[in-house]
Amino acid sequence: MIDTFHIGMFAASLCIIIAFFSFMKETDDLHRLLLTDLASVMALFLIALVGTDLAEALILPGLVVTISKLMALTEIYLVKEGIQRNQPARTLDIEVLQSAPAILASILVLYGIFLSGFSGGAVAGLGVIFYIICKGHQERFELIETVSGYAWVAWIAAFFIILIFPSQWFLAVMIAGGAILIKVTAKLSLIGTMRGESDV
Amino acid sequence: MFDLNIEGAELFALPFGDIVPYFSVYSATLAAFVLIFILIAAFDRPERQLNIIFGGDAFYEKEIKEGDTRFSRFMAIACGFATLGAVLTGDIFNFTLFAVLVGITNIAIVASAGNHHVLNAAFQYGIVAMIATVPLFGAAAIILATTGTLSIWTLAGMGAVPLLAKAMLILGVMGEGIAPLYIGKAEIIRAQGAPFVLMIHFSSLLLFLRVTEIVLVI
Amino acid sequence: MIIRKLSGILSNFTNLSRVYAVMVIIVVIAGIASIPSLDYQGDRLYPKTIDRDSPLDPYDRGGIPFESTVVLAEYPENSPYLGYITAYLTPLSLALAAATPHMGTTIVAHPGGIIDEILYATRGLDTVVETTILFVGFAVAAHLFRRREDE
Repeated sequence: MIDTFHIGMFAASLCIIIAFFSFMKETDDLHRLLLTDLASVMALFLIALVGTDLAEALILPGLVVTISKLMALTEIYLVKEGIQRNQPARTLDIEVLQSAPAILASILVLYGIFLSGFSGGAVAGLGVIFYIICKGHQERFELIETVSGYAWVAWIAAFFIILIFPSQWFLAVMIAGGAILIKVTAKLSLIGTMRGESDV
Repeated sequence: MFDLNIEGAELFALPFGDIVPYFSVYSATLAAFVLIFILIAAFDRPERQLNIIFGGDAFYEKEIKEGDTRFSRFMAIACGFATLGAVLTGDIFNFTLFAVLVGITNIAIVASAGNHHVLNAAFQYGIVAMIATVPLFGAAAIILATTGTLSIWTLAGMGAVPLLAKAMLILGVMGEGIAPLYIGKAEIIRAQGAPFVLMIHFSSLLLFLRVTEIVLVI
Repeated sequence: MIIRKLSGILSNFTNLSRVYAVMVIIVVIAGIASIPSLDYQGDRLYPKTIDRDSPLDPYDRGGIPFESTVVLAEYPENSPYLGYITAYLTPLSLALAAATPHMGTTIVAHPGGIIDEILYATRGLDTVVETTILFVGFAVAAHLFRRREDE
């Protein structure tokens, strides 16, 4: 019997074949780097086919893996090609980008804090990136890194609270939600600072 | 699962909610090896490297600062702990995540060498390691969809896992553990911090041993 | 002759993603034939129930805050407080769910709800590994970035 799951599997197989065919054809390194994103969407496609709450929870790790590998690979690409030196001065010299960031970024950050947890961190981080890209930055790289490191430790502590003292689940969920928010926001906002301007 | 030949007796299981890592005779042996190699990575001192000049008796000491190897030492130890996790975990999806972690720490060890040729190899390896997430997560997803569980405990001996999922799982681990192929080409063995390259070879070897066990058990 | 040609291709590492892609395509094409024989069993764990009238629409799993609800976990005996996180709603999302027909779905991002139960409690180790991967990916990028700053 052919049901929705099987139709989805056929479609996914077809997409995987097409995506990997592009890796056979493409020889340029930068284009390959961009195509990896296409490939990793296929992994999410297959997980989503399960269609339960568990699948929804598994998509998040799948997504994060992609982001972090892409981040590392992009930086390797920049160093490998030796193109990190010549930075464009201010290519995005558009009036809106001078006036809008403060409002838009604060909306995004506030909404991210309101959401909390991982997706909240992503939204808030996006706001911070947007602000930094438009306005330039003067933060201390290491300080944000340290904050993000402590947030990670708080997260691990929450994990052990749930394992060892399950009755304190409420405390653990609150710590985890807050810590992931800070961690993801800090990490993402650092991407904005890595665009060029030297750190203070 | 412990009545199957490959595992041996159950020694210890650690219940973490739905994910139950376990020590059987097989995985405990692998874990012991991993611990030894973590200690090697933590305590060796590759800062004292000598260059021999061929055709003469002379040698000179390479100047390697402490800070240069700090990053690769950290990543080698992280890679060791990722391998430990991959060897002990009792859940397919958790195993694929640990395999990805091994892959990305391997990229880190290779990329910490400054040589352009080595970085090029690291980049090519990174591309393969990244697209390997498709067969890896795909295998976990197909196993979840067709058997309704991800736990190796439940899957053991059932024989319910389709061949497609097993083939994809092996293919995915091949992609993540392919690093040694690049090391030979990249001449990283002679770069500074070279002893940490040992960890790359070791982690991909153990990933293969572990995936063999999983594929035979499920 | 063939071996020499093959090893020539394999020894050039810019070709390896191509070789890997060929292998994946072969496996997937071979696998397509077996798809109709796959049997869908995925809804054994954490099935999704959809109640279109609920303000928490796709994430409504019942229960009231600080009480438990039914969650189909793999090993319920390992999580004695299973279902408590699923039933919990922050006061904010409670207010949103009462006031608006659809905004209650913010429960996905807010502390509490089924996704948090899976991510933080029953499959917590997954999220530990996931955040560690993010940490390592970031450490690589930051290390290379710092090194190029120093140069």
